[in-house]
Amino acid sequence: MKIFKKIIFFFALTLLVWGCESRVEDIEPEDNLSTDAVFSNFVNLEAAVIGVYDGLQDGDLIGTPDFIADFTSDNVDFVGSFTTLQDIRDFDADATNGTIDNIWFDVFDVTRDANNIIVNLENINADDVQGAPANFDALAIQFIAEARFCRALAYLVGVNNFAQPFQVDNGNTLGMPIVTEFFEGDVEPFQQPRSTVNETHAFIEADLLFAMNNLPASNGIRASSTAARGLLSRLYLYREQWAAAANMANDVVNTTGFSLASDFSFYNNTSSEHLFQVINQPDDPAIGSDFDTFYNPTSNNGRGDLPIAQDLIDAFEAEPTDLRFTVLTFSDVDAGNNPGLFTNKYPNGATNESDPNVIRMGEIHLNRAEANLRGGTTIGATPLEDVNAIRARAGLPALGSVTLDDILLERRKELAFEGARRMDLLRNNQNLKPGGGAVTAPGANFVILPIPDDELNGNPNAQQNPGY
Amino acid sequence: MRSKLTLMLASFLLLCINFSFGQEKTISGNVTDQNGLPLPGVSVVVVGTSSGTQTDFDGNYSISANVGQVLRFSYLGQRTVNMTVGASSAINVQMEEDAEALEEVVVVAYGTQSKDKIVQNVSIVGEEALENLVVTSPDQLLRGQAAGVNVVNTSGLLGTPTNIQIRGVNTINGGSQPLFVIDGVVLTDNSNGFLQGANNNRSANPFSFINPGDIESLTVLKDAGATALYGTRGANGVVLITTKKGKRGQDATVTINNFVQFTDIIDLPEVLTADEYRQFRTDVANIQDGTSLQPQDLGLGAIGDPGSDFVDLIGRTGFSQHTDISVRGGTENSSYFISGSFDDQESFAIGNDLTRWAFRLNLDTQATNWLRVGTNVGITNTVLNTIGTENNTFAPFTSALLTNPTFIPRDDQGNFVRSPNFIPNIEAVARLNTNETDNTRIIGSIFGEISLTPNLKFKSEFGVDRQTIGVRLRRADITFAGGDANFRAVTDDLYRVTNSLNYTNKFGKHSVSGLLLQEFEDRRRRQTQVDGVGFLSDGLTNVGSATTQTVSTTVGGTPTRTGSVITGYLSRISYDYDDKYLLELSGRFDRSSRLGDDNNTGTFWSVAGGWTLSNEKFMENVGWINFLSLRGSIGTAGNDRLIDNLSINRGNFLPLGLFGTGQFGGLAATNVNQPANPNLGFEETRTIDVGLRSSFFNNRVDFNVSYFKRNTTDLLFNVPIPEQTGDLDQSLNSGELENSGWEFELAADIIRSKDFNWNLRFNLNTLDNEVIAIESNEIDDQGRRFTDVGGGGVSRLREGSPLSNFFLVRAVGVNAQTGDFEWLDIDGNVTTTPNLNTDRVDVGKALPDFAGGFTHTINYKNLDLTAAFNYSVGNDIFVDGLRFIDGFDAIGGTINVRRQNLNFWRQPGDQAFLPSPASATANNANQLSTAQLFSGDYLRLNNLTVGYTLPNSIMDRLDFFSSVRFYGTATNLWTLKGDDLDGIDPENNDSGSPLALGQSFFTAPQARTFLIGLNVQF
Repeated sequence: MKIFKKIIFFFALTLLVWGCESRVEDIEPEDNLSTDAVFSNFVNLEAAVIGVYDGLQDGDLIGTPDFIADFTSDNVDFVGSFTTLQDIRDFDADATNGTIDNIWFDVFDVTRDANNIIVNLENINADDVQGAPANFDALAIQFIAEARFCRALAYLVGVNNFAQPFQVDNGNTLGMPIVTEFFEGDVEPFQQPRSTVNETHAFIEADLLFAMNNLPASNGIRASSTAARGLLSRLYLYREQWAAAANMANDVVNTTGFSLASDFSFYNNTSSEHLFQVINQPDDPAIGSDFDTFYNPTSNNGRGDLPIAQDLIDAFEAEPTDLRFTVLTFSDVDAGNNPGLFTNKYPNGATNESDPNVIRMGEIHLNRAEANLRGGTTIGATPLEDVNAIRARAGLPALGSVTLDDILLERRKELAFEGARRMDLLRNNQNLKPGGGAVTAPGANFVILPIPDDELNGNPNAQQNPGY
Repeated sequence: MRSKLTLMLASFLLLCINFSFGQEKTISGNVTDQNGLPLPGVSVVVVGTSSGTQTDFDGNYSISANVGQVLRFSYLGQRTVNMTVGASSAINVQMEEDAEALEEVVVVAYGTQSKDKIVQNVSIVGEEALENLVVTSPDQLLRGQAAGVNVVNTSGLLGTPTNIQIRGVNTINGGSQPLFVIDGVVLTDNSNGFLQGANNNRSANPFSFINPGDIESLTVLKDAGATALYGTRGANGVVLITTKKGKRGQDATVTINNFVQFTDIIDLPEVLTADEYRQFRTDVANIQDGTSLQPQDLGLGAIGDPGSDFVDLIGRTGFSQHTDISVRGGTENSSYFISGSFDDQESFAIGNDLTRWAFRLNLDTQATNWLRVGTNVGITNTVLNTIGTENNTFAPFTSALLTNPTFIPRDDQGNFVRSPNFIPNIEAVARLNTNETDNTRIIGSIFGEISLTPNLKFKSEFGVDRQTIGVRLRRADITFAGGDANFRAVTDDLYRVTNSLNYTNKFGKHSVSGLLLQEFEDRRRRQTQVDGVGFLSDGLTNVGSATTQTVSTTVGGTPTRTGSVITGYLSRISYDYDDKYLLELSGRFDRSSRLGDDNNTGTFWSVAGGWTLSNEKFMENVGWINFLSLRGSIGTAGNDRLIDNLSINRGNFLPLGLFGTGQFGGLAATNVNQPANPNLGFEETRTIDVGLRSSFFNNRVDFNVSYFKRNTTDLLFNVPIPEQTGDLDQSLNSGELENSGWEFELAADIIRSKDFNWNLRFNLNTLDNEVIAIESNEIDDQGRRFTDVGGGGVSRLREGSPLSNFFLVRAVGVNAQTGDFEWLDIDGNVTTTPNLNTDRVDVGKALPDFAGGFTHTINYKNLDLTAAFNYSVGNDIFVDGLRFIDGFDAIGGTINVRRQNLNFWRQPGDQAFLPSPASATANNANQLSTAQLFSGDYLRLNNLTVGYTLPNSIMDRLDFFSSVRFYGTATNLWTLKGDDLDGIDPENNDSGSPLALGQSFFTAPQARTFLIGLNVQF
């Protein structure tokens, strides 16, 4: 009898604690999502796709490189006090430059979040995803396409800034390291040597083609096949693949819903002008997206670091009624308290919610014009028609004929403060600075940025750019 | 309820009175041992009364008792004998040895063990050490009391945690505090220093939550043999706190203990008075500018104008009182200890006080002949009002020193005025601001034990450690414009379940015991914090009355909800042959949720062996040796407290890949904010330990010595990872650290006689610490990797050196001829323009060469005296605040300076403290250098207690009481330290970070306390 009691008691006690073992796995973070949680719930999964765009909001990737492109060329002057930017302005930066490190890092930061989707989503079965819609498999492909679009965009920023353009040695110089895996503890796949510029371009092209083939033509503020086409037209233009560039641009022009806006109110607004822009809203965490404070004078809560360069003012003043000059610029004082002219393409300096323009119809028409002119084709329209369309919107009279220089000048005025100038000069074999010497000449060592220290220290296969 | 109590008390009193009226006669007799030899010192008491006596050297006694009363004869190691008084006036007794009682039992990991058979290395601070030591905070009971345990008292402020290191520092980035266990309940061990109101990374001081009077003993587990069973948590050593228990069959003893205490400051740096300050600033300015201005010209007021002594304004004599009552005893089948205590403490600083009540119930009952059940529960509420410390302008003892003494904190009407600069009006801070932590903590367990067979027991135990904490901060408008407030509500739960089988048996000369135990531990913390700014007036004290409130997503750096789980399976097998050859094997298998998925299990083990030489035949004739044993162990333990020093916000989830929340154009987003780190594992220590334990001269002298070497491998480092990962750094297990040292313990009855006893307990431990390997990209010219990260430009972590050695430019002092301040460059040449980066050299170590303590206990008749000393030799301390409180120009020359700064160079031949104000070095004399580094050697009389117990002659007339003791205690009465430490305490309050040991800004002063108390038992 007593032994019976003992047994009952024994089991009562042990049953209390049965199954404790599995609890080690039960511990889940509640203020963050684990990787498993992201892929087991459709709401989380879609948020992870949006998370890739969220990474694009970091101004060191889209924003800072754009104004660097403007002040290392002839569009704006940098008069601010940040020494890292002063060094870049003076073509005197080195591998320890923190701003450059941020640009490099952000390429891979976006790539990481993109690769998470690209690598992992393929293996996810709809049955394992809570709340998965019926068309989950189609959506999954679309999500992957969006991630690849964002990765391509990040790589395009990287290859433009850290590698010589295609025109130097036909794209056989050092490009970007190609990272296709998602980091989960093993660092080895992330110590890639740099591929060539051609290989990097091919990587970007493959991503954009995938996006083009798997995304809808219009997709709200998210990436669309039209945006992918737009970036492809730019990539082909940079690579001097004229017909391909003109065809891509032409396809965009022929896509319903996308057309040149009638005026310049499209900045910071939704518009048929935009193929893709990085939307910043007041609620979005603004960390790192403060590029607009550089463009704005202190009266508009900015730093006043980037007054418009005299060379560009002179160019505008040749045709002073240009709306891009009269409407899109204003006078104020710069960081040094000197009078200056500023752009108002990014008006929200106080809240850091200005939207950087990634690719828009203005560029598409100019891409088609330049590609047609250089390729001797008239795909979709003549170069003259495209240039005059741009000029008409700017309130300028139509030209009777057009040369490459006309197109490049129009491109300069149209895309000023949008980060295009530096590449347009380099790929057309023009010096970055008017009257600039060997330092700023196309193909010179310091017209591209150094590979940062942190990459060199953390990667035995890293290769520095020549001269640094 | 009240009437019941009255009835009980009345009947209790009646009982006593009743016996007093019986027929009394004198009984006498002789007590012998089992061999018929007289037994001196046997306690003889009349059961149920307070009347008692002892046998003399010839074993004779004499006592008054009534017929029918029972005399109880008891003596350590002998079976207690009860004799009923009959007609005869003579009662002779022959006592028998009680084999079980003779074995002194020591609390060890997950059990107890006979002291003679223990092969682990443990230090025990037992009843004899604790008996007469009166402390207000129980951590002081460890101070200087156990070899290899270094307790650095932080400051005299209430509520600041104490640094406790067991055998040096065994980690660099992981948690470095030992594990604390109260009656088997492992305490919550995450950093939550902020919950103590302290701004540092140390664990909550578990001793704040226990009444010192409840502590029976402290056991410090040191070697692998002792700690392996704690697995992933054992690497830093373990402190087992055992509370008092009753004894079965023992009459109730009621103890009432009361004391009052007065608290003052030991010493502080002396700063200038207002007039000295005016003169100093004016003289300096006149020399520097070639002017002849007066103080009023500099806006300092004229000589003779009023000034302030801020140290005086924020200090006071603190008054504290303590009461505790306990009842301890047992019935035939049960034992109990019940206590309640109340503390109301004030420190010497205005705004710093603590109230604490604590209840305890320890109960153990043999419910049936096969089932034993019991509980040990302590409930404590602590309300601590704390003040800032160290490098913080809101720290009274920092800012009181620094504030310009010509500033008058109140206007003519006595209202506080706003400070004109960034140092707030510190008197207003001390008097008006609130920083209150209200913590109710329940630490306890219940258990049931089934005797399956006489040799095999099954025990199941459920334990909790639950804290409910509210932290309330409020700054008054005058100290922070508009006022601000914050409230944190925290609940921290830890519960654990253990199931164990325990087997003991003896086969002839073979003794075997085995333990098999399953453990599960779950810890959860939930917390919220609300901040508020903008108050209409100071009268609105609550955060809810602020105009703007914000809710934080993290509290004190940890998420609003976090938790961890450990499961463990462990076993210990002990074997001995004839009490001579002892062997013990321990093993533990752990899984911890804090570690990476691929590395979340650990197996820990130890092998310990001993040889009791004194039980050998050949030792039989060596009469002066009572006990001699050799012992050794080897084994491992781990440290899974990965996050303690890594500035990562993700609480217990360091190894997991995590996604944070974000937004893109109004769409909800989530992206990686921590890469997965599935290989992240625990730090592992491997310890070799050999030792000797001995007892000589009729057990008058005990001498123990041991040597240990402990290597920590897989040290946790935050290392940069390739940027192609999209992340910057990651924690890796890499690197190695070694601690080794000798430990000596000596206890001696120097004088042992009837009326006069003098006992000395002495301990000393040496420590050699060496960083074997670390992760760092920086390599010095001798090929050693090093890093200054975390060392604050003061300490350097370098391979081949001890942990956090001081690495500074060497200051020489003022050149008597030139008036320039001089330093040494890297090559040892005198320079006036040292490079603060490249001229740094290794100048001293933060860990002592040796340290320890000694305690004298002297009893003369009814008088007792305990004097406890602790000491530390060979370490340096760095006082960062001197960079501000010395020199001409700190904060633009707007703050006060120490008095020695008056001695600046004026003419050739001057032996000056400061250079000439006109020297090019004038503004650099106080820059980071060895000028702020001092030898930290000291010897301190930390506790002196004198007590007087009323003699039996008086007690006989006080029937109700069995013992009455008056006592007085003084703490920190005397300190021997270097002359240059005038005003600076050698026990400095470092951050607890292994990378910045021995560094403080200004440690708030130590307290000198005087206490008088009364302890009565009945």
